[in-house]
Amino acid sequence: MSEPLIVVDGIVKRYGAETVLDRVSLSVSPGQVMVVIGPSGSGKSTLLRCLARLEPIQRGRILIGGALSAEGTEEPDADRSGKATSGSSHDVGMVFQSYNLFPHLSVLDNVTLAPRRVLGMDRAEAEAMAIDLLKRVGLEDKRDVFPTRLSGGQQQRAAIARALAMKPRVMLFDEVTSALDPELVGEVLKTMRALAEQGMTMLVVTHEMGFARDVADEVIFMDKGVIVEHSSPDRIFDQPAEARTRAFLERLLEREGGKRRHA
Amino acid sequence: MIQAGPILSYAPDFLAGALLTVELGCVSAGLGVLLGLVLALTRRSSYRLLSWPTYAYIEFFRTTPPLVQIVWLYYGLPLLLGFDLGAFGAAAVALGLNIAAFLAEIFRAGIAGVDRTQWQAARVLGLGFVDTLRFVILPQAVRNVLPPIGTTIIYLIKDTALASAIGTPELLRVGQLVANETFRPAEALTVVAIAYFVLTYPVALGFSAVERRLSKARA
Repeated sequence: MSEPLIVVDGIVKRYGAETVLDRVSLSVSPGQVMVVIGPSGSGKSTLLRCLARLEPIQRGRILIGGALSAEGTEEPDADRSGKATSGSSHDVGMVFQSYNLFPHLSVLDNVTLAPRRVLGMDRAEAEAMAIDLLKRVGLEDKRDVFPTRLSGGQQQRAAIARALAMKPRVMLFDEVTSALDPELVGEVLKTMRALAEQGMTMLVVTHEMGFARDVADEVIFMDKGVIVEHSSPDRIFDQPAEARTRAFLERLLEREGGKRRHA
Repeated sequence: MIQAGPILSYAPDFLAGALLTVELGCVSAGLGVLLGLVLALTRRSSYRLLSWPTYAYIEFFRTTPPLVQIVWLYYGLPLLLGFDLGAFGAAAVALGLNIAAFLAEIFRAGIAGVDRTQWQAARVLGLGFVDTLRFVILPQAVRNVLPPIGTTIIYLIKDTALASAIGTPELLRVGQLVANETFRPAEALTVVAIAYFVLTYPVALGFSAVERRLSKARA
């Protein structure tokens, strides 16, 4: 077993008096895909946002590739500024539910901006790489188009290319298909599937249970800020050990079934 | 009877005045935009040490007449600090400080109008604060508030006429001098009015053109 690429060690995240993540721990090995499922408000998106350093944590620590990425501000020996992190700021790529492309920039400029400014690539080098990435996500003909001219699925694939351009060691996906029209979900999942096959380490929050079953190496079920169950996809979907997991999956299946009947 | 003849021989003086008006407008607009941007950011800051003085600054300059600010800077500053900016300097600095207060509020609204998730997307890509502001936030913010920025700049160009009060030989001051020499105030001031229109209208057109181009790019 190789060294884990991501280590989340007992993190606590609070908003005021409300505890959103309560001593959450997990580790992900290089090349693994971990899918996080759970009801809304379970803290799964917050977990990703903490990993992406968008949210400070109060307790515990996060290591990426062995380097300290985030540390609880209330840890006794923590640097109070919360900035004593040795990991680089771009080793974690993130894709959001609402794409969050830069609307004033073309697809190509969306992808090249950060490599040029942060990695110091020159324009030619960055564009060559960006065009490669756009080919990988099937958008090579959209390089000069502005995001508003793209469908949701195309925007999301462009956002994936933009994140990959920083050569992250880990990719985080936060309900990336939830805002899409049903017929556009497939193309984004296909891109993610290909990425997983190429060995990218991924942490995926999703309600797409088919994707979870096929692509995930491990599945985590979260509820009310804690990890309730952590298992293989087959086990968690076929024989969930916990009653809460079972109840959640049954509700989800009912909804899916309902959708299908009405479709 | 309106007679253009006696006025026309002062064309070079009017031209020099117009040039000074343009210089005054450019210097104070430049100062105003830069300072306005900084103030917009410090106003938004969560550090009260930054946001409160900024608030006081903005309210002070918005609520006192620019003419008073110009006169104060011209006569008051040398008395208080023994530091003389000269007529042009005092007018340019006072107008710049004044317009910065208005532009700060406009920029602040523009920045607030950019979705929070844009900051997050930039942050996850590793972009620093300055790069995020320069390449992600400001282009969108400025686009959102281009019309009020244009209006403010046009106000500023017209307000440069206030510099005549401390003897800066800009357009209005030249008009007053010519009126005194020729005893033709109606003609002289008509020339002045037309000259201001000629200076400001292209600015208005320019802002409209940029706005049109940007909205086309967005579509």
